[in-house]
Amino acid sequence: MTIEKKINAEAATLIVSGRLDTQTAPELENELDAVLPGLKDLTFDMTNLEYVSSAGLRVILKAQKAMNAQGSMKLTGVNDSIMEVFDITGFLDILTIE
Amino acid sequence: MALHLILSASYNALLAILLYVLDKKTVLSRTPYKVKQTVIGILFGLMAVFATTSLGGFDIGDGTIMNVRDAAPLCAGLIFGAPAGIIAGLIGGIYRFVAVYFGMAGAYTRIACSVSTVLAGFVAALLRKFMFDDKKPTWLYGLGIGMVTEVLHMLMIFFTNMDDAVNAFEFVKICTIPMVIGNGLTVGIAVFVVSLIGRERLDAKKEQKQISQTFQRWLLICIVVAFVATSSFSSVLQTGMSEVQTNKAIETALSDVYQDILDESNANLLKKTESIKAEYTVGTDLKTLAKKYNVIEVNIIDETGYIVDSSEEAFIGYEMSSGEQSREFVTRLLENKETQYIQDYRPTSYDDVTMRKYGAIVLEDGGFIQVGYDSTQFRADIDKYIKNVSKNRHVGSTGFVAICDEEFNLVTYRSDFEGAGLKEIGITIDRESTSEGEIFKSIVYNSEYLCAYRFVEGYYIVGAIPVFEAMFMTEVSVYVNTFMEILIFASLFVLIYFLIKRIIIDNLRKINKGLAEITNGNLNVTVDVRSNEEFASLSDDINQTVGTLKRYIKEAAARIDKELEFAKQIQYSSLPTAFPKSNSFRLYAKMITAKEVGGDFYDFYMLNDSTIAFLVADVSGKGIPAAMFMMRAKTVIRDLAERGLEPDEIFTIANGKLCENNDAGMFVTAWLGILNTKTGLMKFANAGHNPPLFKRNGEEFGYMKARSGMLLAGMEGIKYRKNELQLVPGDKIYLYTDGVTEATDNNTQLYGEQRLLDFVNSLETVEPESLCKLIKEDVDKFVGTAPQFDDITMLAMNFDAILGDESISVVPGADSRDAVTAFADALSGKLEIVPKIATKINIVFDEVYANIVNYSRATLATVSYKIEGGKLCLTFTDNGIPYNPLTAAEPDITLSADERQIGGLGIFMIKKMTESMNYEYVDDKNVLTLVIALS
Repeated sequence: MTIEKKINAEAATLIVSGRLDTQTAPELENELDAVLPGLKDLTFDMTNLEYVSSAGLRVILKAQKAMNAQGSMKLTGVNDSIMEVFDITGFLDILTIE
Repeated sequence: MALHLILSASYNALLAILLYVLDKKTVLSRTPYKVKQTVIGILFGLMAVFATTSLGGFDIGDGTIMNVRDAAPLCAGLIFGAPAGIIAGLIGGIYRFVAVYFGMAGAYTRIACSVSTVLAGFVAALLRKFMFDDKKPTWLYGLGIGMVTEVLHMLMIFFTNMDDAVNAFEFVKICTIPMVIGNGLTVGIAVFVVSLIGRERLDAKKEQKQISQTFQRWLLICIVVAFVATSSFSSVLQTGMSEVQTNKAIETALSDVYQDILDESNANLLKKTESIKAEYTVGTDLKTLAKKYNVIEVNIIDETGYIVDSSEEAFIGYEMSSGEQSREFVTRLLENKETQYIQDYRPTSYDDVTMRKYGAIVLEDGGFIQVGYDSTQFRADIDKYIKNVSKNRHVGSTGFVAICDEEFNLVTYRSDFEGAGLKEIGITIDRESTSEGEIFKSIVYNSEYLCAYRFVEGYYIVGAIPVFEAMFMTEVSVYVNTFMEILIFASLFVLIYFLIKRIIIDNLRKINKGLAEITNGNLNVTVDVRSNEEFASLSDDINQTVGTLKRYIKEAAARIDKELEFAKQIQYSSLPTAFPKSNSFRLYAKMITAKEVGGDFYDFYMLNDSTIAFLVADVSGKGIPAAMFMMRAKTVIRDLAERGLEPDEIFTIANGKLCENNDAGMFVTAWLGILNTKTGLMKFANAGHNPPLFKRNGEEFGYMKARSGMLLAGMEGIKYRKNELQLVPGDKIYLYTDGVTEATDNNTQLYGEQRLLDFVNSLETVEPESLCKLIKEDVDKFVGTAPQFDDITMLAMNFDAILGDESISVVPGADSRDAVTAFADALSGKLEIVPKIATKINIVFDEVYANIVNYSRATLATVSYKIEGGKLCLTFTDNGIPYNPLTAAEPDITLSADERQIGGLGIFMIKKMTESMNYEYVDDKNVLTLVIALS
């Protein structure tokens, strides 16, 4: 998994590619811990993300909770596989997916 | 006497042998030097004391005891050491001095003897120290030193008794020869026998003579020649001078007595003649006068020289000038006009045989009156006087003067001896063969005398002086001269030899010593002999040459170093450093070379996708040959391994190949393993190499106990044993060379196998690379500042996973996650599964594996798959704590983001993505079987 960051004042875009699983989730979590404080607008670009496992969901949920308190968060470029995971796990209801 | 001499000499020799043997063969050899010297000194001192007693000495016949006392300190000093000599000399000398008080030794030679014994000790000490380099001299030197020392002794006896020179000289004359020879022989024999016992060279004969020996020889010859020349010259001179002196002494005595007799005889005749003349002038006839005065003839001679009247008629008319004897009167009285003339006793003119003495006085009326008588007549008048003349006369201090008549009857001798014949006292005068004043020898009362005689007025005057007295001064001079010369020349010899030794021989030795060190490889030695210009220049030349040599060697060494460095680099670069990337194992190897090029190597190579060969080896020896042999061994083994042979076969063939043309007799120890990653089976062979460390997953490291085979290239026809070991994920293996276990610290202690084992077991689970580094650090710490002698080579491998075609076994953990992911990917690829399903499979792998890793505490996990009825059937097995995921509570997925709990989603997702899920706990294992639809 690779993470590309685009930060513009209070808005940030994280381009995540590869697999977001048990092994890689802690990386993203660390990244978010650094970016989240004072952030108003967070975008995950998932165009090149292959799949997300429960460990990845946990990080996304954590980010969503944080952004609910200080601004807004959205996901872009989500593929079918990931969409299915979000669907199964009821994440579609809590996430903003464009 | 000869027997006595030999006996006395043998005491010293025996003591010398005894001490020498004790010194070399027994405890005495370990005794400290000072104690040893003192003991030896005291023993030889006692030997000197013994020699002083009548038992140790020998009587030469008249009560004079001779001995070889001086030999004892000489033996001690020359054979055993300077201090022993001095101690022995002091003891012997002091005893000799004190012994006089107890009447044990003569007082006459007391000072001379005691001082010379002490001196002998010092002479021996000095010579040993400065002339013989504190070593025992050869026996010839011993002989010489003994003799010269005794000459000194004799000279001292003479000098300390100068007020009694005659007796002192007698003593010296008797003692010199036996004592000089005795002491010389004693010392000579002692040194000789000790040399014999010590099996040393008895003479200085060698292939090549030492300078000092040549020098000694020539110096000795010169000195002996000079000694003989000066001695004989002075001897001849002395003898000549003393002859002159003796002659003069005799001659003076003779001429004194001669004159006295002549004067008295002349006076007697003059008186008679005057009386006869007085009576003749008053007219007494001549015959009467002759009778009255008891003379033979009275003659009157006229102015013309003819006898005109005589008491013997026959003489009348005799012309006085006609005979030689009578003509003197004519000449004296008539021609020279003397008034009187007394002629000495002599044959007459008319008869050669008749001896007569004449006297004449001039008559007032011309002519003269002549009176003649014979010896019997005048002896009656003067004998008495003559006795007084000679009685108290001496020639020299003990010689004498004797007077006898024409028949050789003594008139006077020392005491009254009248009438006795001269022959009776031993002197015979032969006028035919011996002229007056000539020296001849006679034996007077058993003593040899030098004699001479003179004849006057019918008396023979004999002067005689004892030969002893005549020659005494000569002999004293000759002895003293000879003794002094011996001493002076001996001293000169020692001095010159010593000087030469110091100036040349010692310096040469110093230079030789320096050169010897240089020859032995120490080029940092500088020769520095600066006592004179020649040696200084020689030293400089040597140093310069060595300097140049050193520079060349340094340059050559630098070139060789460079080449070795190059060789080392080649060797180093032949070792692989690109470690294979595999999910099955992690491998790291490292070689740390010592300063010199060595023969260690490691190697590894993938024989195919799932087989890796790895080895560590150590070639005997060091340097280029070892490096070249290493390259050969490495190539041969690799070649064989790549043909797909088993390790034991590889070694068996490699051994044969390496034995060929191995003239250098090199060999190599090696450990080779071939691991199949699909099965985890490791086949290996050991050719005399250190046993590797092996760690079974969950256990501690231990040395592999498999029996080792013979080392490679050692012997042809060796078969190697086949070994197999089933690895499980988590096993570790560590190969090394003896550079690790035989690393040596400054106290020459080895690092050792136990220390290595303890160290690796003290470590937490580590990567192969870290393991190698940590071990190297620990070895470095142990070795400290000691240099690294041997190459240190090690290879470590962690076995992580058995990568089967349809299964994978791993140690659950972050490290093995990649292997599991790769397995999942490979599975999807192989089965040509559509991406969407593949993602599902990936998620399922991730979720299940994460649970095993995070919660099961399992040490081994296996995943396998099979296709059944178009469906994928996955089985996860782990040996962790029992856990049935099917019983887990489902999360509420309808809550808002803020209300949702983090966690619990994994199993829920697995359920959603699989068609069916089955859990069993079998054989202490969790077995989870999942079925995923592939379409």
